[in-house]
Amino acid sequence: MRIYLIKRILALIPVLFVVSVVIFLIIHITPGDPAAVMLGESATEQDVKALRQQLGLDLPLHTQYVNWMADVLRGDLGDSYFMKESVAESIFSHLQPTLSLAILAQIVALVIAIPIGIAAALRRGTATDQTVMGFSLLAMAVPSFLLALFLILLVGVKLQWLPVAGYKPLEAGLWNHLKYLILPAISLGAIQSALITRMTRSSMLEVLNTNYIKTARSKGVKERTLVYKHALRNAFLPILTVIGQTFGGLVTGAVVTETIFNIPGIGQLIINSVERRDYAVIQGVVLFVTAAYVCINLIVDMLYGVVDPRVRLERK
Amino acid sequence: MRIAYQAQPPTLDPHVTTSQASATIGRNVFETLVTVDSNYRTQPLLAESWEQSEDGKTITFHLRKGVRFHNGKEMTADDVVASMNRWIQISSAGKDHFKGALFEAKDPQTAILHLQNPTSTALPIMAYGGGNYPAIMPKELIDGADPKGVKEYVGTGPFQFKEWQQDQEIHLSKFADYQARSEAADGLAGKREALVDDLRFIFTPDSSTQVAGLLSGEYDVAADVSYDSVQQLENDSDIQVNVAPTGMLNLFFNKKKGLFANVAARQAIGAGIDVESILIAAYTDPKYYQQNHNMMMYYQVGQWASENGKELYNQNNPDKAKQLLKEAGYQGQEIKIVTSRDYEDMYNGAVALQQQMEKLGMKTKLEVYDWPTFTELRNDENKFDILVITNTPKPEPSSLAFMRKDFPGWTDSPELDKLLIEFRSAPNLEKAMSVYGKLQSWFYEYVPVVKVGDGNSISASKKTVQGMKWLDGLVFWNVSNQE
Repeated sequence: MRIYLIKRILALIPVLFVVSVVIFLIIHITPGDPAAVMLGESATEQDVKALRQQLGLDLPLHTQYVNWMADVLRGDLGDSYFMKESVAESIFSHLQPTLSLAILAQIVALVIAIPIGIAAALRRGTATDQTVMGFSLLAMAVPSFLLALFLILLVGVKLQWLPVAGYKPLEAGLWNHLKYLILPAISLGAIQSALITRMTRSSMLEVLNTNYIKTARSKGVKERTLVYKHALRNAFLPILTVIGQTFGGLVTGAVVTETIFNIPGIGQLIINSVERRDYAVIQGVVLFVTAAYVCINLIVDMLYGVVDPRVRLERK
Repeated sequence: MRIAYQAQPPTLDPHVTTSQASATIGRNVFETLVTVDSNYRTQPLLAESWEQSEDGKTITFHLRKGVRFHNGKEMTADDVVASMNRWIQISSAGKDHFKGALFEAKDPQTAILHLQNPTSTALPIMAYGGGNYPAIMPKELIDGADPKGVKEYVGTGPFQFKEWQQDQEIHLSKFADYQARSEAADGLAGKREALVDDLRFIFTPDSSTQVAGLLSGEYDVAADVSYDSVQQLENDSDIQVNVAPTGMLNLFFNKKKGLFANVAARQAIGAGIDVESILIAAYTDPKYYQQNHNMMMYYQVGQWASENGKELYNQNNPDKAKQLLKEAGYQGQEIKIVTSRDYEDMYNGAVALQQQMEKLGMKTKLEVYDWPTFTELRNDENKFDILVITNTPKPEPSSLAFMRKDFPGWTDSPELDKLLIEFRSAPNLEKAMSVYGKLQSWFYEYVPVVKVGDGNSISASKKTVQGMKWLDGLVFWNVSNQE
């Protein structure tokens, strides 16, 4: 198990290297640079040139890459060009809102998806099943921003129950923290739940048709125990994969949702930094996001072993 | 008071950036020696008074007594000298207009500006309240600053800097020891008073989020409302919509290369277009623009006005345009119009312009970029024939972008050079005013740009917010918010 872990972590190195080169090239070849953005709309070309020199942006590309990579290897992602903080600080401060939102959205998705998916599987072919399938198809087709705008209009502007934009950290109190995240979490989670519902339904169907379930049922095992203990646990592996993927997507930036609800998360950091051509931050965030995505997948892999002992045995 | 504001500035230090966001937020904290009133005339702020020498080469500023910085220190001539000399050395405005100039402290209450040449525009430029304004800061902070700006934000203004959460908000709070001027408030001049305890500028890049936040009570002010959302806001009885000048929509010609190196071709565009329909496309409603033939903005005509060239503005004369195009030797080659969609008025104006040019028998191509790309491409004379840009207002005409040799478009006119020397080196502004009319005549003969008109931006606030004004940016002192 330990060797497996080490192998997986080592495999991250070439991935990060390739990503770093690609992102570095893409953003440096794109026109526009941080010096011009910082000096503002009326600055002269001369001033921009001077600042570019001060920031070391006039050096040849490969020199800039080597300098940056040398710092990264020492664990230093550099300083933001635009903001008065280091890239690590930026990522850390923007990660908190994103994590809170991702967790909440995932909870919303699971609370909706798992029971509905199971219900649909148990009542296969009935009106319930068809309704669930129809709605989940619709939800997969609807972009999350549309639901977001609808929620803002209804719950925020008309009913004025919840704030429509902004973010308060957990230190401001649990309710203060949560109330800003409820609408974005619903708009993200509801959409995510569609995929998980479908996966739960098809995975459950497969398990419910196996012989051991039929045997258990004929032996008189209670329906509840049968579904949740015997069937769901065995059906859970593919569901877990989907959950991992959607969670990875949530953590690495729900860009549009964060913009609509003005949540200062990773997604918004990427958008803002691209607009500001803040090279250091873009590079740092992309590296971080890549690592995070790979790690989440790794954690999901490890969870397979927890859910299904057979996976654990195979790996040994 | 919670203000939803579109863009986070790179820094509040106005000496290093020309960003308008930096000015709108920062000038609640920092003040300047002189400022402007509602007629755009220069008035004292941190200076009590000033004298300009006969030859126009020295200006002596007598400073107000008892003005304290937010750190408790009293402001003296040393702070003024350190701040102003840094501003002259590093700001775009300072480098451009104050070459070789130096501030010197005579005594703690007197600072003298020595100019290398008489500079009629010195006072209006120092009075400007927009991007790159000459803020007065404590000498210690100036000494400890690096190229990205001062380390702390300490000024003399009615609000003091509290906290900056990156990409979330800038928090200012009322400065209890603020020493206001005694004159009645007028424009940016006169009495300033913090009528709310806290100003929170909350960065909200999405304009529709600003509107939703205002409607749901999350914000008190939405600073950048899109033209399309106005109707929704006007239907709400708790909301008021405010209109403020934002910039002038200009068509910048590439005068270095291509068709528009020929003055007749530039005059052809000036003669052929119908500004009304371009302005409607850009600003959607006559409430949100002004037709104005002056080089300067409509809110500045109290100080800067001339009738010269008026007949050449908005001619809407396609026959004359076609004649001029023939003179310029136009053979039907493709004309490249370049703009950015980050500003809807620029983009929509460019689309309308393209249609009008097609009607004049020209072949055109419209290229649209994001703003950072646009600002880089426009420096290359091979990449465009016409740029559609909204220019920010400037304190005086010789600061306008199209007067510069190094700004995209590359104005190069010996006649202008002569006029600018005459204008700038007049010993004072009164004498320089006689040259202003000539500058405007030159503007309509040489046609460095075609001015389409002056655009407005829209902000909105709850009705509880009283007294909000606009002058070179939104003004937040003397503004109350009583529930």
